[in-house]
Amino acid sequence: MAVREQELAALASGGDPPRSSLPELLDRLVEPFHRGAPPAPQVATGFYTDTTVCIGCKACEVACKQWNQLPADGFAWIGDSYDNTGGLSATSWRHVKFIEQFPADAARALPGTGPDLLDPGRWLMMSDVCKHCVTAPCQQACPTGALIHTEFDNVYIQSDICNGCAYCVAACPFGVITRSALDGHAHKCTLCYDRQRDGLVPACAKACPTQSIQFGPIDQLRERARERVANLHEGGVSGAYLYGDAPSPTYSELHSFYLLVDRPSVYGLPDTPFNPWLRMKGDYLRAAVCALAAIAVLLPLLLAR
Amino acid sequence: MHHGYADRLVTKAPNWHGLVALDTLFNNMTSGLFLVAALGELFAPTVFAVVARAAYPIALALLLADLVCLVVELGDPLRFHHMLRVFKPTSPMSFGTWCLTVYALPLTVLALLSFLPNGALQWARRPAMILGLLPALGIAVYKGVLFSTTAQPGWRDARWLGGYLASSAVMLGAAQMLMLSMVMGQSQAAVALRPAVVLLLLLNAVSLGLVIWDVRTALTRAHERTTLGGLIFLVVGGGVFAPLALLAVGGPMMAGGAVLLILLGALLVRTEIIRLPHLLAQTPVRGR
Repeated sequence: MAVREQELAALASGGDPPRSSLPELLDRLVEPFHRGAPPAPQVATGFYTDTTVCIGCKACEVACKQWNQLPADGFAWIGDSYDNTGGLSATSWRHVKFIEQFPADAARALPGTGPDLLDPGRWLMMSDVCKHCVTAPCQQACPTGALIHTEFDNVYIQSDICNGCAYCVAACPFGVITRSALDGHAHKCTLCYDRQRDGLVPACAKACPTQSIQFGPIDQLRERARERVANLHEGGVSGAYLYGDAPSPTYSELHSFYLLVDRPSVYGLPDTPFNPWLRMKGDYLRAAVCALAAIAVLLPLLLAR
Repeated sequence: MHHGYADRLVTKAPNWHGLVALDTLFNNMTSGLFLVAALGELFAPTVFAVVARAAYPIALALLLADLVCLVVELGDPLRFHHMLRVFKPTSPMSFGTWCLTVYALPLTVLALLSFLPNGALQWARRPAMILGLLPALGIAVYKGVLFSTTAQPGWRDARWLGGYLASSAVMLGAAQMLMLSMVMGQSQAAVALRPAVVLLLLLNAVSLGLVIWDVRTALTRAHERTTLGGLIFLVVGGGVFAPLALLAVGGPMMAGGAVLLILLGALLVRTEIIRLPHLLAQTPVRGR
């Protein structure tokens, strides 16, 4: 039986220490301001997800939940394919998407037409996850410093710092980060920071049986992905391309990038991702001009008296 | 052909609702009231000093109401002070938090001085007023930029939202000062403020028009035509033209009614702005 996130709140938490004493309160006030020395930078790592070899087994979802001790979200059938978890959430950091593209299905419905034997259709499957953007809008938005880039150049939420303002949720153009109804904090994929620190491969990539999800130094992954695209083109899959491997005029490169064979929006990705911070200076300028214009209107009337 | 997830909104709405709309209104009311009171007292003390002394405690109460809304809206309100761990100019929320913090100091001093008898510690008024001006301006300016610097449908297109809220702050400040002047029988101040409110209301209506133009696509997707028409009628008719008419008629009761309508119109605009991405999250994307 599925355990929903909210149900956990009803469970006894006898292990939690009391938080009412003065030292406890002081510690709570002061501790967030303590900072350790940042770890030395390491080689940047990431995910390369080749959607052409994904079989939709959901081993990545299960491995992620198991390693990170995330409860099930229950079933949420989207109604037109085998997607039964709906999307990424505070407790689902991997989400396998299913797209059935079978033109013959539609043709069958028309009288006098049969299935197109030359185009039998296709399944598209994709394991979605945080994109670990090099210039991450969520990290730029975060007012507490909870969202950081780790020494592996992955985007990570420090759960002891986040206060659940949800500005990162509003900022993410990929709809990844979610504020939990249970603890009120934002959560997303950590790129298995703890496993990486111990020299292990992230749980999802480790569990993937087809190497659709590959983990490693980002430069090596990009090289491997470009070779794969070239091979696919040679093999007749002319629509194969990489999404997020390189920066665009409106968005940085992603440390979790994809090999796709249809438009990004078909996979639930923005066709042209846009970093909202590109417009911040102009927005501030317009706001300041309007405020000063209002004061300029006001002042002569005040001085006239 | 199956279009997969193309008819789904990619972004997630941040679950900001009524308290954020109230916070946005209180933000504009406190910063605007302070700006108008301080500028009035600095440049025309003989006319505005008495009203300004009453305005600062009200601005402080509005600031406290604003802070309560901000804190309660957090996922973990007991961690509000984590906002002060860093100063990040890239984050309008961080910039705004620091502006609010700095602004609270001179405002509290001025509010306390308002309760002291004339002469006691009055030398501190002028420096406190000057110190409060810049952070008050920052508070008026950051809020709209906070929304427009996101990936949310509607908000991300609202290039003039910061401008609208900033000019709205000054307009709301003048309207509150007008109300105070009338209640306190400060006719000279009221005579100066009435035309100011009229002009600022018109200026604010221009920036509101720019915001509506910016977000027209999102508005037409989120609302039926008749609902949208009704909303615009309420906002423009009830929040702009009706107050203008009441101010033209004159008299304390009419001015009071005008200020009330201005405040209700401002709250309605803010509520609709905050609701926009949440409404769109329930509406399938078309034409992709």
